[in-house]
Amino acid sequence: MTPLLRAELIKLRTTRTFLALTAAAVGTSLLITVLVSILTEPTRDEVLTDVFTSDTSSLFIMILAVVGITGEWRHHTITSSLLAAPDRLRFLAAKTIAFAAAGLVLSVVISIAITIVGLLILTIRDLPTPDAGELIEQLARNAVVAALLGAFGVGLGALVRNQVVAVVGLLVIGFAVDPLVTSLLPEVGRFSPFSALPIGITDVPPEDAGLPSDIDVLSPGLALLAMFAWIGAAFAPAAALLIRRDLD
Amino acid sequence: MPNSAAIQIDGLSKRFGKVQAVSDMSFDVGAGRVTGFLGPNGAGKSTTLRMLLGLIHADRGTGRIYGRRYEDLEHPSRQVGAVLENASFHPGRSGRNHLRVLAAAGEHAPERVTELLEQVGLTAAADRRVKGYSMGMRQRLAIAAALLGDPEVLILDEPTNGLDPPGIRWVRDLLRAEAARGRAVLVSSHLLSEVEQSVDDVVVIAKGVMRANGPIERVLGGGGAPVTRVRSGDAERLAGLLRDRQIAVDAPSDDLLLVHDTAPEAVGEVAAEHRVVLRELVAQTRSLEEAFFELTEQRGEESA
Repeated sequence: MTPLLRAELIKLRTTRTFLALTAAAVGTSLLITVLVSILTEPTRDEVLTDVFTSDTSSLFIMILAVVGITGEWRHHTITSSLLAAPDRLRFLAAKTIAFAAAGLVLSVVISIAITIVGLLILTIRDLPTPDAGELIEQLARNAVVAALLGAFGVGLGALVRNQVVAVVGLLVIGFAVDPLVTSLLPEVGRFSPFSALPIGITDVPPEDAGLPSDIDVLSPGLALLAMFAWIGAAFAPAAALLIRRDLD
Repeated sequence: MPNSAAIQIDGLSKRFGKVQAVSDMSFDVGAGRVTGFLGPNGAGKSTTLRMLLGLIHADRGTGRIYGRRYEDLEHPSRQVGAVLENASFHPGRSGRNHLRVLAAAGEHAPERVTELLEQVGLTAAADRRVKGYSMGMRQRLAIAAALLGDPEVLILDEPTNGLDPPGIRWVRDLLRAEAARGRAVLVSSHLLSEVEQSVDDVVVIAKGVMRANGPIERVLGGGGAPVTRVRSGDAERLAGLLRDRQIAVDAPSDDLLLVHDTAPEAVGEVAAEHRVVLRELVAQTRSLEEAFFELTEQRGEESA
């Protein structure tokens, strides 16, 4: 598995799409942090969730994962990938782990950036800053979410295969369908892998994350388990399809 | 019973919808030999190779490399190097990075990437994105990828596509050199002229069915009887004399005869006996191309 994982990580790092989306993730996270730090005056209780949860890695790693797996079909590189790794299950597992790792690293990079910038601005403005322990825990939760969504994105992309359909579908679900379901059917929306479950894992109050205040978000532990279930639900049929499919 | 063949294809069959792409394909490829896999476009060559490589699931039959299915090989890139038709690369990745990915997956030393880029003549373009490569450069990159693990078996599907004449010659020399090192080489082509000079054995297929299989000399003769070409100003009389001896003769033109199943010496004796002046008397060897057309088109029409 390690050689395949290494190969997947090289694949990931050696395209401009990765660099562009990584830069976009860092840039948007920093922008949000800077704006919130400068334009608001968070209290001691609010500062952690207001300033240090602006990590946008979850969105970008999902897009990256979907682009990464669907790109194998779009560019027909799936053939050379499976010649190098004829065990298709191992190939998909390696890609899933690679994007989970990439999500984790991306989130850590963003966390370092927003922590430095956020603390600097808050200190200059003489505003309260969070405890180091709380801050590290929050950033670790963000990183876990990014890793899980990276893995989830691979499963979704492997199911859809068509890159444009997968990316547009992801954006439509994330920005239109999911908010609609969450507001109209909160009892269903609380299980959403795009919003409610990640927010449950990060343990941020739903209203601070843009969710309806009446939604009953799962506890971090249950949300984590539910997120694993979603990953399994995407991975299993994706693997079955990949194993069965002819590559002609 | 043990079989020393490097590649064993045994009864492979595949149907896509209503189309029977490959039917009961069986042949072996020996180590140290270059085997040409010949057939017109759509004959089923690529499907057969993809079944052998585990990319397409066979309906029936097996394809094995040194007795094992491709999927079961422990280090596939050390055992098999493959260049498939229309080799594809991520357009945004450089040639070097493409090879780095495959080297990592196959656990090959990073230095091997540099060596192969040099071997295929891509050192100068190694760090350029593949989308700027010509078709010939892509083909060279695909060949470099196949050679990464210095494999025992090479499987090449139309490897000369897009190559210029020096490139085609380079591929021919490479195939011969690999066979000389004891590697088994299976190379498909629909261009007979490109493999005629470099293969030891041929497997001819058409419409998914194997038509002929064996050493090129044997298939070149088609296993059929010899034909003697005779040119004479008195061809009509000579044809009659030969037919009197129950010898089959065709007369494509006034002064030309094609005498079947008869050596030139025998035809010459008949001509001398009856004082027929000959202007030409040669044993006609069918070219591989003629044999190929006969094996594919003619039989194809019969079976249609």
